[in-house]
Amino acid sequence: MSELTDPTPAPEHQHVVLSADGLPQHLVDEKQLLLLMEDWRKGRATRNLRQAISDAYVAAFTFVMLAAMLISVIIKAQGIASECASGTCQAARGLLPWSALAAALAFTLAASRMFGPVLASAAEGFWLMDAPISRAKVLVRRLWLAIGAALGMGLAVGALVAALTGSSPLAIVGWALAAGLGAAGLTAFAAAEQGAERTLAVQIVQWIVSLAGLATLMMVVGTAAGWFTLSVTDQLGEELAFAVAGFGLVLMIGAGVIARSRLNRIRRARLTSGGSLVSGMQGAMFALDFGLVRDILVERDAVNRGHVRPTRGVGYGLRALVMRDVQRLWRFPKPFFLLAASVIVPYAIQALGLRALNPSISALVLMGALIPFFASLRVLSRTGGLARCLPFSTAQIRTAASIVPGVLALVWAIAAAPAFIGIGSSTPHRAPIEGTLFSIAAGLAGFVGAVRWVSAKSADYSSPMISTGFGAMPPGLMFNLIRGFDMVALITFPLVLGWSPWLSLTFGSVAFAILRMGKLNSDELQAMQEEQKKLVEEQKAAARGDKIKVTRGR
Amino acid sequence: MANANKIRRPVPKQARPVQDEGRPAARQETRRPARDVVLSVSHLTKKYGPNVIVEDFNLQVHAGEAVALTGRNGAGKSTVLRCIVGADRPTEGTVEVLGTRMNETNADIRRTVATVIDDLDFFPDLSVVEHLDLLARAHGLDEADALVDEVLEEVQLVPQSGQLPGTLSSGQRRRLALATAFVRPRKLLILDEPEQRLDTEGIAWLGRRLRSELDEGLAIVMASHEPSLVEALGCRIVELGGPRG
Repeated sequence: MSELTDPTPAPEHQHVVLSADGLPQHLVDEKQLLLLMEDWRKGRATRNLRQAISDAYVAAFTFVMLAAMLISVIIKAQGIASECASGTCQAARGLLPWSALAAALAFTLAASRMFGPVLASAAEGFWLMDAPISRAKVLVRRLWLAIGAALGMGLAVGALVAALTGSSPLAIVGWALAAGLGAAGLTAFAAAEQGAERTLAVQIVQWIVSLAGLATLMMVVGTAAGWFTLSVTDQLGEELAFAVAGFGLVLMIGAGVIARSRLNRIRRARLTSGGSLVSGMQGAMFALDFGLVRDILVERDAVNRGHVRPTRGVGYGLRALVMRDVQRLWRFPKPFFLLAASVIVPYAIQALGLRALNPSISALVLMGALIPFFASLRVLSRTGGLARCLPFSTAQIRTAASIVPGVLALVWAIAAAPAFIGIGSSTPHRAPIEGTLFSIAAGLAGFVGAVRWVSAKSADYSSPMISTGFGAMPPGLMFNLIRGFDMVALITFPLVLGWSPWLSLTFGSVAFAILRMGKLNSDELQAMQEEQKKLVEEQKAAARGDKIKVTRGR
Repeated sequence: MANANKIRRPVPKQARPVQDEGRPAARQETRRPARDVVLSVSHLTKKYGPNVIVEDFNLQVHAGEAVALTGRNGAGKSTVLRCIVGADRPTEGTVEVLGTRMNETNADIRRTVATVIDDLDFFPDLSVVEHLDLLARAHGLDEADALVDEVLEEVQLVPQSGQLPGTLSSGQRRRLALATAFVRPRKLLILDEPEQRLDTEGIAWLGRRLRSELDEGLAIVMASHEPSLVEALGCRIVELGGPRG
């Protein structure tokens, strides 16, 4: 015990690097360390940026093409906006940038909480953070980078939405600054809170901003439908946007300074946890596997939660599988809010006069909202191990795991039906049955899209590669990008073209019937053929009066 | 680890045999002829491009028999097991379980074969005990709760019963994986290096547990690098691959 209570003070850190022979060399300079790391990274590159761009001419060409398409869409949207002459339509359009602003800010806070926003890689955590250096000097660039990234992305989103809603050039600048500086300010705020080891304030602000976004979206619907009027002029909107931008700038500077002063206090584990999340997601993104990206986030969330109060299952057989999904809903009700919010989307789109595109856009939003409800299907389809433990065929498992989300999609379709029938007096109406069928078809498209998104196989890197302009690619890699979206497009294109909704319902049913099979298994087909052959032989033998020869051990 | 002999054999609710003369259902199974062919592998060949991993592999496993696949790393043990359970398609050859051609997605096969190979996944949002409960109920075991409790105790995961799989250590995850095989009915048990990440006590328990499975008439095929486990089960040893070099 004497050693434990020994009052001898611990020796102070000398901040000295020792050479191999144990002699002190010089004090550690953080800047030199960072320069050394940069040299290692850049020194190992075999091509500079210009060479890389000239090599990736296809990527550059694609980028130019996409930019041209975007500009074309913005010009078209401006043209459509000029047709939005009624007071209600203009008021509704004027509210859309507010909704986008709230969404951008909520997303910024969610991402900041998830990643840090200040982070470090596992290697940096191990090699640098343990060294006797000023952590703040190493991390300060990360802080500015996070704030700068939020600023850039916010500017782009704000400008894009304002342009698409037909705003004036000055308003576009105002909304871009509001979203950019607002996002940067909130990132700085989240970083300041990270330094103080707190998350509650960020969470509360995130909820407030999300609810504000939802409320704005509902106001868009209500205004366009003529349920109530809002006297928000374009000029007032612009002024408010600049006010938000100003507040964002002040927050960015103030919170940024506080965050900078607290950088030394961030725990290493907190820094590297964000870094490892980023590196995991980077790997998944290289494979264009967004399902895997989501898996990483879900796993991280589960690890943070750690423990749940176990609940006893209900029923036996396939019912047990279905009821487990029901129990999940009670345990994790958060996705419900997203699903409930997604019901407003078809109303908002209809209100904004985008009637023809409503089924497709609403189905895409529903697809995103339904994905969290497919937890069972995701795990049971990404690897075969757990499905092999269950005494059901793949089709049975996939059907059972789709029941709860299917019911939710149906409820969504019923709740969204009035939007497809028509709201307010300014938009054209459909017959109630036709409108309801449109809604059900949109719900089916979102549902089948989500099934496809969660159950599609990742690219197979063990199979022979395909030669492309981007280099060798495994087959299926490009399809990863469009999985889910392909189903939505397939099922809703008859609606967009004004054809019968029954066609969409047929396409959707056939698509789900194929998806629930998992894959067309040649072994299964061969086994079925053999079984049928045996049965025919047995029947022939029975008809001849022969004894049936039992060949199977069961 | 608790005594393996205490563990009851799970019998599905729908398929529970009628008990005859007061004998337990599990005992009746052991009275069946002990030499039924449970697994038959014929001329199995697996190639990845030009690389031949396994060539013309043949194996027959009877009820109550344990076969251990041994050999150096990369000899093809796991590949053979993956082909046997249907996770990989053999380049040539056939695999039959109880006379039915192996098809991974077939419900009858899944009802019969319990596997613990490297592709076992867990639901990130279900706790340890909920995984076992789900499996027992899915197999229609009417005494699911009691059986789950017993298996949970046996694999020493009672304190972790409410934990989510992401928070388990690698050894605990391994024990949970093994528990998934013991909480359901089975006639054939396929295990890929089941001793992996288990401590000495755990390996000894596993030996006793698998021994009792054999006594109940189960067939076991496993890949293993653990001589004590292979010895404890009195396995027929099939060595794969030539010597290194």
